[in-house]
Amino acid sequence: MFYVTMLFQYMSQYMKTRLQYRTDILVEFFSDLLSQSVNLIFILVVFGHTDLLGGWTRDEIIFIYGFFLVPYAVFSAFFNIWDFNDRYIVKGELDRILTRPIHSLFQIILERLELEGLLGAITGIAVMIYAGSRMGLTLSWYDPFLFIIFVIGGALVYGGIFIILACISFWADARTSIMPMMYNISNYGRYPINIYNKIIRFVLTWILPFAFVGVYPASYFLGRHELLFYSLITPLIGVVFFTLSILLWNQGVKRYRGAGN
Amino acid sequence: MDKYLEMIRIRFLMMLAYRTNYYTGILIYSINIGAYYFLWSAIYGGKEQIQGLSIAQMTTYVAISWMARAFYFNNLDREMAVEIMDGRVAVELIRPYNYLVMKMMQALGEGIFRLFLFSVPGLVIVYFIFPIHLTWDIAVWGLFAISILLSFFINTQINLLTGITTFFLFNNSGLIRAKRVIIDLFSGLILPISFFPVWAQNVMNYLPFQGISYIPSMIFTKGFTAQHAVYAIGQQFIWILILIVPIQLLWNLAKKQMVIQGG
Amino acid sequence: MSNAIEVKNLRKEFKVYSSRKGLKGAFRDLFTRNEKIIPAVNDINFMVKQGEMVGYIGENGAGKSTTIKMLTGILTPTSGHIVVNGMNPHKDREKFVQTIGVVFGQRSQLWWDIAVQESFRLLKKVYKVSDEQYDNHMNHVIKTLDIEPLLDKPVRKLSLGQRMRCELAAALIHNPPLLFLDEPTIGLDVLVKLKIREFLKEINEKYQTTILLTTHDLSDIEALCERVIMLDEGKVIYDGALHHLKETWGEGKEVHFQFLETVDLQSVKAATAGLPVKWEHDEKEQVFIAYIEDQDELISQLIAQIVAAYKIKDLNIHETSTEEIIRNIYEKGEVRLG
Repeated sequence: MFYVTMLFQYMSQYMKTRLQYRTDILVEFFSDLLSQSVNLIFILVVFGHTDLLGGWTRDEIIFIYGFFLVPYAVFSAFFNIWDFNDRYIVKGELDRILTRPIHSLFQIILERLELEGLLGAITGIAVMIYAGSRMGLTLSWYDPFLFIIFVIGGALVYGGIFIILACISFWADARTSIMPMMYNISNYGRYPINIYNKIIRFVLTWILPFAFVGVYPASYFLGRHELLFYSLITPLIGVVFFTLSILLWNQGVKRYRGAGN
Repeated sequence: MDKYLEMIRIRFLMMLAYRTNYYTGILIYSINIGAYYFLWSAIYGGKEQIQGLSIAQMTTYVAISWMARAFYFNNLDREMAVEIMDGRVAVELIRPYNYLVMKMMQALGEGIFRLFLFSVPGLVIVYFIFPIHLTWDIAVWGLFAISILLSFFINTQINLLTGITTFFLFNNSGLIRAKRVIIDLFSGLILPISFFPVWAQNVMNYLPFQGISYIPSMIFTKGFTAQHAVYAIGQQFIWILILIVPIQLLWNLAKKQMVIQGG
Repeated sequence: MSNAIEVKNLRKEFKVYSSRKGLKGAFRDLFTRNEKIIPAVNDINFMVKQGEMVGYIGENGAGKSTTIKMLTGILTPTSGHIVVNGMNPHKDREKFVQTIGVVFGQRSQLWWDIAVQESFRLLKKVYKVSDEQYDNHMNHVIKTLDIEPLLDKPVRKLSLGQRMRCELAAALIHNPPLLFLDEPTIGLDVLVKLKIREFLKEINEKYQTTILLTTHDLSDIEALCERVIMLDEGKVIYDGALHHLKETWGEGKEVHFQFLETVDLQSVKAATAGLPVKWEHDEKEQVFIAYIEDQDELISQLIAQIVAAYKIKDLNIHETSTEEIIRNIYEKGEVRLG
């Protein structure tokens, strides 16, 4: 309960500061929109030369992409820890965090909120509606609830992986550039998993389970029931990875050696 | 000249200190190339050729584009933005060298480093994993070498340009991000320019971006004839010259602005 | 209340990687690195009673900050035993930090972009302080530190002295029984320093707040602390009363001379040859300082010989300053006092 109140405290604080720089939000929104449309353009251009991609139609691929954007938006709003190493380890800001009576990771999440990231969810839903209506998809009463559960699951998968990456900083003292590059890998969860070979399929399912951010949960709504099992374990995978990442974090904090001197 | 060479050397040594970047970097680029390889295999399906490129050429194209990216890519714009925003640039300006040239030399040091410790070993690793066709034609390698050097300059110039805008925009991180996305798409890294609809190709002909990735990669995969390759390199060279103009203009404006505002 | 801090055989080791020389060395570093283990804090022991104000001093790299970071739960010790406020700092971190306040002179606790009072409000929630407690306690703190007019300004617009006072107030929002201050007066002007010292004394008297203070500025310690713990190369080399340190080590006196004529160190030395005296020349102040044993006979002899040789503008006799004492101690190594 305390943590929920703190979340709202920080959110309101965040709004106050952000509203001072309204143009920034706008610029950021447009650059987000741009990078999202690049991926759409890729899909569109590619389908100018083929009708099916591993047995999936253009609209299905677009739908998966639209779905992917939603958990990604949630992730980018709450897990803005790209620069964890620079900001908190090298500059020693973690010292300050550790002298306060809230879980250190939670504090960092609160401090680094980027709520405007949530705007990407709107884009994603719009893309899904566009592709879904072209395919004539219908919804059951429970589909919106499943959608929310899948989105949370996907965001937890994403968050878990990136927290684990951030934890590397506790062990390796060199700066790592894994984080921005991991972003590239994460993108592959939005294509049908069957186009990859066995090893990569395995990696995307069990090691870096980005398939649970996009293709697995999305295929449930596309009625692709051959992947039903994977669709349904999305929330489970999310919880498992997130829990793992927090355990690792707690170990890492003990190894923290502080900056300077 | 000495001081610029020294800067390359220092940067080189600095990069060595961050060695874990390279182990992970090669791994991740390889995974990236792999994923694109599968994507393209699915796209090709049973087709022999799309837009004059066979699947083998396409795989080579993807691999070489990414490995070349390891060389030309840098975060100069972001570094400049930081230096400008926290005022360090004022100190840089009183030093006896040209700030922009110095930045470019730093980037070159970084690039050369990554060429040897990232691109080359990366390419060797990727060669053993994916069906890539490396040519033994010396002329192709020569043209390719010239071409990626030029693509480094074009990319770095665009980064300088983006970096300088920090003087005029309060916060240009959005612009920096947008630039990166545009370069990934329009440079031909994500997909060859020849795949785009004709009207889009025509527009891109008037933009510098294809000089960053498309031209060197097409030379390497022999997607271009020798004649076409020489012509394309000429194009790259002209873009480098053209890009000097806006950089110089914006830089002069920026310096003026700094004098007025006191940094 | 008994002991606020208990430290037994505390040790913290860091791995340090050294890089090899030159390009070739750098390439070798790519694969293996030279690794060395350095004890930053080397088996130290001490206790601090509730309500004490203790100065924790030492040169750069002596292990001050590392100790403070272990005491505040930021770093995990390599070995040894720490109990602070009855708890193990890094074990129950979140519960533990509720009972301490920390000020790092070189690092801000406040949020840069928002007004000071917004930061306070947020911290009030973070530390679960009730409105009543907050009003009772903070109104007083705000008044004493004179930061009322700063409350609606964003932190980035404050001067260093203003910010430091706000930092101090922020560290006290939950009225902790133990306060850690790491270089709290670094870079501040004298007036702000005085204000902060006064304030610290006051809360120490009022709430029996234990204060552990590290500083480069020995005048802080002289003004505040009865007791000092001195660190060198990760070891405690002195732990005891400040005046005791002075009595034992400050056995000498300093006689400061200013001359009407130009004099050099060489000739001054020549003039007092035969006396057990050490000369120094402070060029900035144009003062010649004679260090001499505290014996009236000797001192008057010294003065007599100098006056006989030169025309004098000014003359002062000082106790050896704490700084001088500490410099002496560091030069001579470990102190063995009772």
